[in-house]
Formats: sequence, structure tokens, C-alpha cells
Amino acid sequence: MGRALLKVKGGKLVKVKLTQKENKIQKIRITGDFFLHPEEAIDELEQALVGKPLKEENLLQTVRNLLHEKNVTLLGVAPKDFVRCVLMACSENG
Amino acid sequence: MVEEWRFLDTGLHDAFYNMALDEAIMTARSKNLIPNTIRFFRWRPSAVSIGYFQSMKDEVDIAACNERGIDYVRRITGGGTVYHDEEGELTYSITVAENHRLASKDFQKTYQVLCSGLVQGLNLLGIPAKFKQVNDIIVDGEKISGNAQTRKRGVILQHGTILRRVNPPLMFTLLKVPSEKIRGKLIKTVNERVTSIERYLGREVSFEELKKALRNGFEKAFKIRLIEGQLIDFENSLTSELIVKKYSSKSWNFRR
Repeated sequence: MGRALLKVKGGKLVKVKLTQKENKIQKIRITGDFFLHPEEAIDELEQALVGKPLKEENLLQTVRNLLHEKNVTLLGVAPKDFVRCVLMACSENG
Repeated sequence: MVEEWRFLDTGLHDAFYNMALDEAIMTARSKNLIPNTIRFFRWRPSAVSIGYFQSMKDEVDIAACNERGIDYVRRITGGGTVYHDEEGELTYSITVAENHRLASKDFQKTYQVLCSGLVQGLNLLGIPAKFKQVNDIIVDGEKISGNAQTRKRGVILQHGTILRRVNPPLMFTLLKVPSEKIRGKLIKTVNERVTSIERYLGREVSFEELKKALRNGFEKAFKIRLIEGQLIDFENSLTSELIVKKYSSKSWNFRR
């Protein structure tokens, strides 16, 4: 399992735990002290990332699409921070 | 005529009641059963609350809390881990309709406006407090209040803490830290970055004095009058239900 922690400058903390298979996300958990509204959308965000290839552009597109579709507001963290943290967690994986 | 809001001082309760009641007030407001409301409350026993997106196991030293009889609970709001000391902290909640003049679609702006009541209250005590984004109130660069907001069914709930006294070493015995060496560093950091009303003023400040100042601050900043009110039956029964079904349950508190 890979883990990573990212402190957003002037913002909040994001933590990612994940497992990967064939360069795709198999399981993922995003935690931290950020704000995301509506809160329940975090489950859908994690769900949307499952099965996605661990490539920056794909992940960023997935996160952005989901936030747009569900009309999600983020505070203290940006989509690129989530993605950076995911990529850090998977490089931890070895 | 000045706009009237309900004012509640619910005193000391455990963490599950405190968090259940905030949600019950929010639900009652969304059904238009009650007016906009400001509530003051405290915690007995002292408790740790974590943000909606945090992991209980990663953040809180459950064994240490159990040993000391300290509750732990997940909030419906995002944000970080908070230690709510029975004597060290006053907590408030604001429940207001989303279409109210104080509210805006912009979360950051709404934090600033709703925090202005606290800022004014602290100013009345002689503390030159200021809002600092995202969700803090600071004095001389040190944090004195943390706040968190959520919105559901046309209602905004913002709750937060005002530090009367701080005790970083105790706080860090209750939180998970990577190592003992880091525990010391964290205590030092918090000592430098967090202050309290009593530390800043260098004198004792009673909860009564603090509540009076904050109440005046809210009235001035929001241009409202706070009228002492009561909980309605709907709120009391929903609170009891939420304590059992949600806030004291493992499935809620350990869901992440």
C-alpha cells in the first residue's frame, strides 16, 4: 500500500492511501483537514478514481469532471493537490 | 425593527449530544420550525472532534482518550482535529438560512462574515483579533479560534471554538504523532502558533464574561438582536435519535 501526505501552501493537509494494480488505482482513500462541499461527494470522488491509470492528465481530468458534475466546492485544496498526493502515494508503493 | 435571532446557551454536554444537537438545529431550521440561531456550548467530558474527511484511527490516540475518559467524535463539517477542553474552550454554532443577507455562495466570504461576530466580540474584550483565511481567527499572528462550515437543504451551519486557555502538552497526548521526538516539536509549534484569551490578556476571564462579549459582538456585527430561547420538541427528539444512530456509533466515527 502507498501513502502520501501533502501540505498545501497557505491551505490544508491532504493524505492519500492507495493500492495499485497494473498502473491503475485499485483502492483509494483520501483524508485530511480540507473542506469539500457537499461533503458526501468525497465518496464519489474516490469511486471515480478507482480503475484510473496513474497518469497526471487522466487523474486531473477525472477529478475536475467529478467536481464539475457534482457542483463541488473545494476550500484549502485544489484538484491538482489531490492529484499530486495520489502520484506521491503511488511512487511510495515501489 | 431589529431582526431577531434565537439564542441558546446549552451548557455542558458530551460530544455526541453536542454534535447531534447542531445537526438537529440545522434540520429544524431547514423545515422552518425555528428562527436563525446562535448557540454557545461546552464539553463534559472533554473531547476530541475530527473533521468529516479525517481518519479517526490516524488522528486520535484512542487508547489515550479511553484512559482519560475523553470522548471522540466525527463532525459533519470538514477541517481538522480539535481538542475541546472542558475548562479551556467555549464552542459556538451559527445556524442561518442560506438566503440570508449575511450568507453568500462564496464559502470563503461567508466564513469571514460569520466570523466577524467573534472578531467583534474579542475586540470588545480588548483583543485585537482578525480573521485569517481559510477559517481561523488570529491575534498577533497566533490562532485563537478555529471554525468550520457546512450547508444542507438551504441552511448554513458554522461552528467553531474560542480558546480560553490552552494546554498543548495535554492535547498532544490525545493525538497520534509519528514519534516521541516529533511530539515535542509539535507541542513547541502549537505553543508558538496558538494563543488563548487568558494568555493574551494575562488575566483570568470567566466563561460568563467571554459569553457576554461574544453575544454583544454577534449582535453588533450581524445587526441582530439575540433573544434567549428554548429547544423545541423536534430538536430534542431528533438529537436523541442522532446520538444513537450516528454520533455515538462506530460506523460514523470510524468511517474513514
